[in-house]
Amino acid sequence: MINENNYETYFMSFIDNELNAAERAAVEAFVLTEPKYAAALALFEKTKLHAPNIEMEDKIFLYRFPEMDAKLDGDFKKSLYRKQAPVRKIIFTPNLMRASFAIAAMLILLIGLQLFKSESNVSESNIVESYIVETPLKDKTTVASTNILIPTENQTLANVALTTKAIAKNKTILASTNNTSNSINTNIVSSSSSQAIGENNSQNIVVAKFNEAQISSSSMETMATEEEKTILTTNYKEIDTEEEDRTINIGILEIDAAAFRGITRKFSALLKRNKIEK
Amino acid sequence: MLIEPSFIHDQLSMTDLEFNICVDDYSDGVYRFILKISKNKEDTRDIVQTAFEKLWVNREKVKTLKAKSYLFTVAYHLMIDQLRKESKIIMTDSFDENANAITQGSSELKQLLLEAINNLNPTQKSLILLKDYEGYSYQEIGEIMQLSESQVKVYLHRARLILKNKLTHLEKMSA
Repeated sequence: MINENNYETYFMSFIDNELNAAERAAVEAFVLTEPKYAAALALFEKTKLHAPNIEMEDKIFLYRFPEMDAKLDGDFKKSLYRKQAPVRKIIFTPNLMRASFAIAAMLILLIGLQLFKSESNVSESNIVESYIVETPLKDKTTVASTNILIPTENQTLANVALTTKAIAKNKTILASTNNTSNSINTNIVSSSSSQAIGENNSQNIVVAKFNEAQISSSSMETMATEEEKTILTTNYKEIDTEEEDRTINIGILEIDAAAFRGITRKFSALLKRNKIEK
Repeated sequence: MLIEPSFIHDQLSMTDLEFNICVDDYSDGVYRFILKISKNKEDTRDIVQTAFEKLWVNREKVKTLKAKSYLFTVAYHLMIDQLRKESKIIMTDSFDENANAITQGSSELKQLLLEAINNLNPTQKSLILLKDYEGYSYQEIGEIMQLSESQVKVYLHRARLILKNKLTHLEKMSA
């Protein structure tokens, strides 16, 4: 029964529409008994909210369409599968491993030999060149010790031959039949070359011209035998063999030429000694 | 955490057409209900979307007549989870943009009522919204919010008393 203590509960249930018809009638009757209860019920009515007109945006995404459940035909789906080609696997059997190692070893040996040959050819050619240049000087034992004369680039072998013949015809020969004449010629050549070196560091021109009068009759016969020992009238470029900073480049390595030469000479001397001992 | 409601039963599967009718009839209500509490349009859209997806997934279990309650239940629990995740328990000004929806009283009265509603906790707010906006009974609200009918009644009356006292205070001030 509605009274002063519980009327608020009834009023709230009333506005919440949770009372049955009898209870609603009781509430309406109670309100009429006193005006303050009518005011209280009106106040509770004011606490009731009314739904605003709010609509959801993008409602279209919530709908279901038959296309959403569409499925591909099974056969067609199978046709889409990607068929991968079988991968060939190389199996390394022991025999195959041995063969491959043998081939690799042979290849390495061949390459190494090729490299060794190319390097040795280069070094041999250098030695031969220097030997060719040095040989006439040693035979004559005349030219100063450390100066080696080689033809310049613009001079050809043909020129050398022609000049040799011309010298032979004109009898411009360096002749010596005895030690004295040798010493004389040596002095001539060395003095002329030293003078030329003094005048010009890059080129030495050695010209030996002798008059027939200057040659003694006694030496004429012996000179004929030594016509081949002519001195070539040519231009020579000076190379200083004592130059310390000369280097040999083998690949990336840079080796001091003098040290290398010294080592090779010692090595060759040892080999010769061993051969002799044997 | 979402507990499957008790109104899920075996029945014939919901068709596309029935589902689309549910979208037409209930999507605005669910959206409005969640928006009033979460105050974030993006989050609300996500929640509504998820609720309808769940309805479609469980279409074989949910009766069409109970689809509305199911949608509100799922959406409410998603919203609570979202609020807990983002610590958005304090909700202010969520009713400002809809002040004109409250038809009673003067503008000052409306403003005070809006402030009072915003000061309610999410449970009280949800109870008021489900009752006043959607017209659910105490029993239905209890099913949606996983509360007993008596709990719904007590919590809802408590919320109304708060609002009534605010309005009384305002009327005294204006007098």
